[in-house]
Amino acid sequence: MAIVGAAIAFAANAVSPRGLVLARNYFPTAVQVAGPAPAASPAQPGPAETNAVGAAPAPPVAESLDAESLQRADIDQAAALFRDPRYQAELVVFIDARDEAQYREGHVPGAYQFDHYRPEKQLATVLHVCQLAEQIVVYCTGGDCEDSEFAALALIGVGIPKERFFIYVGGMSEWAAQGLPVEIGERNSGNIGNAEP
Amino acid sequence: MSAMPLTGRHRRWDIAAVLARWLLGGLFLQMGLSKALDPVDFLKLVREYDLTQHPLLLNGIAAALPWFEVFCGVLLLAGVAVRGSALMLVAMLVPFTWVVFQRALALQADLGIPFCEVKFDCGCGAGEVYICRKLVENGLLILFSAWLLMGWGRRLCARYALMKSGPEN
Repeated sequence: MAIVGAAIAFAANAVSPRGLVLARNYFPTAVQVAGPAPAASPAQPGPAETNAVGAAPAPPVAESLDAESLQRADIDQAAALFRDPRYQAELVVFIDARDEAQYREGHVPGAYQFDHYRPEKQLATVLHVCQLAEQIVVYCTGGDCEDSEFAALALIGVGIPKERFFIYVGGMSEWAAQGLPVEIGERNSGNIGNAEP
Repeated sequence: MSAMPLTGRHRRWDIAAVLARWLLGGLFLQMGLSKALDPVDFLKLVREYDLTQHPLLLNGIAAALPWFEVFCGVLLLAGVAVRGSALMLVAMLVPFTWVVFQRALALQADLGIPFCEVKFDCGCGAGEVYICRKLVENGLLILFSAWLLMGWGRRLCARYALMKSGPEN
């Protein structure tokens, strides 16, 4: 019965449009950090990711970025790149590495979405944009989120030079908490408002 | 239990066991579907347990476990191969509860808070939960599964045992 159940389970995963690709490495870090960062919060009021807002990067994330020789950007650097005139010419590009639902709830205005877990839809567009860009800022939620790193590594893996990338470790939580502009809905929707990251 | 005629008291217990079977089936169906429909989130949670770093094993667990739960849930709801399904649940719940407990201990040590105030998304399909509540819930689910494993809850079954034929099936 366990064998039948397992066979059905793998078959269901194979036919599911949201199924996982078994052979793919979804966490392509070169180094294995000493256990993932705690994704937990003590029982206290406030949002689940409170510790991510405005906090220094969690040690495993910083350690992993350093090991990958990926450059980090803090809030000031990210904001400066956002205001850089080259941003309008897409010579500076922001990449949002979160999933579509999170992206639509609020992203850095003009940022491209690239969910590296499901790259099929966005890869061609993002790849083209990154090939033309001089500097690429990648972010996810912030705190112990590693998706920005994985997204950058995926793009490096398809030929974008590593030195163009900056990982904005504070992520969308910090960006929104600092009162920087947030675009809701699709890219260039023009709907600028407050997000709930 | 299967061979003996049910007395009034036994009948009431068996009806309660049927309700437990439906509860288990419904819960596993719901929890399995919530994970199966968003396997990437579940994959990230499985990785946090640090059971393995091998992509194939990690992906295999995250890909198959939710659908396996759905499979067991449907069988329990329909009343097909009930004892086998209950055995599968025990086989999943006991080690899972153990790793959740271990992770909670590690988080307690990291965060320096009382054990019952540890709250995290254990990958159960219900978001962040307090660990003590989760352990009690899992304990009850294991008890219910063991109850079905002992042969109770055979009313309103489409086919209680797959391998046997006869009036009880």
